[in-house]
Amino acid sequence: MSGTRTTLGRRLLWVHAGLTLLFLCAPIAIIVVVSFNASEFIQFPPRAWSLRWYRNYFGARQWVEPTLLSLRVAGITMALSTALGTAAAIGITRGRFRGRRAVEFFFLSPMVVPSIVLAIGLYLLFARFRLVGQPLALYLAHSVLATPLVIVIVSAALRTTDTAIELAARSLGAGYFRTLWHVTLPAVLPAVVSGAVFAFLISFDEVVLAIFLGGPATTTLPKRMWESVRYEIDPTLTAISTLLVLVPIVLLGGIELVRRTCAAQAAAGPAEAADEPGGAR
Amino acid sequence: MTAGSGPGQAAAGPGRYWRSRQGLALAGSLTFFVAVYLYPLSRLVVWSLFSPTFTLEHYAKLFGEPAYFRAFRNTSEISLGVTAIALLLGYPLAYLMTVASRRARAIMIVLVLVPFWTSVLVRTFAWMVILGRRGLVNQILIGWGLVDRPLALIYNMVGVQIGMAHVLLPFMVLPLLSVMSRIDASLVTAARSLGASPGQAFLRVFLPLSLPGVSAGCVLVFLLAVGFYITPALLGGEGQVTFATLIELVVRDLLDWNFGASLGVFLLTVVGALFVLFSALLGLDRLTGHGRG
Repeated sequence: MSGTRTTLGRRLLWVHAGLTLLFLCAPIAIIVVVSFNASEFIQFPPRAWSLRWYRNYFGARQWVEPTLLSLRVAGITMALSTALGTAAAIGITRGRFRGRRAVEFFFLSPMVVPSIVLAIGLYLLFARFRLVGQPLALYLAHSVLATPLVIVIVSAALRTTDTAIELAARSLGAGYFRTLWHVTLPAVLPAVVSGAVFAFLISFDEVVLAIFLGGPATTTLPKRMWESVRYEIDPTLTAISTLLVLVPIVLLGGIELVRRTCAAQAAAGPAEAADEPGGAR
Repeated sequence: MTAGSGPGQAAAGPGRYWRSRQGLALAGSLTFFVAVYLYPLSRLVVWSLFSPTFTLEHYAKLFGEPAYFRAFRNTSEISLGVTAIALLLGYPLAYLMTVASRRARAIMIVLVLVPFWTSVLVRTFAWMVILGRRGLVNQILIGWGLVDRPLALIYNMVGVQIGMAHVLLPFMVLPLLSVMSRIDASLVTAARSLGASPGQAFLRVFLPLSLPGVSAGCVLVFLLAVGFYITPALLGGEGQVTFATLIELVVRDLLDWNFGASLGVFLLTVVGALFVLFSALLGLDRLTGHGRG
């Protein structure tokens, strides 16, 4: 009796989960498919296939220039927030001072502050320094969003590494910075790299700060897409969307592959390799 | 935790930390955050209270005028609805992920993470293509002769809720999965061996143990929904003005920065309170990964 009920329950559970996953993934799959549509009119499934919307994207200055700007902003944001985030993570995990929890809380809080509130706050600040519409405004604003994630990832790795090797380096005569550079940082390098990738992605996809703080000369790709999507549904957007879906898959899939290869090597190697931190996430 | 036993300040007490070289590293990042994050947000408080002398009129307007109160009601309605949808869809999924084979679990995690890391703008645009007036759903319905005229599926409450549930669902699934995968499976087995039916074992053992994940997921989704801008702005109509879209309207079209600031401060207060609640429920420990065990 109860056996058949379990199977039925289990089946319903699988159906429910399957539909939920379909709900999550189908819209993305549909966008990818319709991006190869040949007609002006978005159809699913397309009756004729073409790459015209991709040609449209790569051939138009109005799309290529924002893309190049987005890459630059994301690159600089990545450098700035990786440096700030790694330093903060070291300070938080290795430091011993009153209010450490409060400091950590403060550093992570931008992850939940609504972008729109940060956007108007930064607009008022940057307007005073005539920075609105300047690339610097975007570097700084995006770093506020990206740094907390770097802190989360790097501090998680720092907490799992053994501080005894750092103490050993110090007791053997290495200075603070020498220990940091040759012992602490190499041990958490995978986490720093994945933090950097996440920082890049956050900046590359960011919309709200970009529309408030960007000007005509600093239109990032998401800002340009936003302006386009509000007026009409241009099929070129389906091609751009498909490329944007691929960016995180390639980058995050890439680090996951590297991490697995490293883990496999560590497992196959001699016993002392077991002390290596096993990836950030 | 032995995090405090790091090198470098072995001899330094708490007071000397800020003068140490590590304190310097932290101070750099802290300065950046104070200048580009804390300072602009605190300036909003000033803008909301002074124009140019001290006044509470902007807050009075916020609570007094029905038009603005409607944004408050819309935001609550959307956020509660989206949280409920995410829980109903997310809980069974997370449960199945917990009990499924390793391989099935890995595939399901990828299917949750790929949308999670896809740009919100792209996902909202996808819903416009699917649910729009000339969108795919309407093409099919008209093609099959089920309706004569296209149905209004976006620029209304339905569209906003679908789009936001899609964006926020992973934020429900991931905390649920984190809590559920820590539940000792042998407790459920023990209940079964003591004569509980599968349903009883689930209801009286697994479900109560998973409740911290439920509350954390709900608070997180609600918290993110309350301040959400992109999806309500693109999929909502005039009747779905939320707090976030009202802020944009007030500062961009009405150019009333003082009132905009008071809206921002109010939103920030609500979100801040929820964030404190969230950390108390699940703990920042979990978020940062040092609360193992």
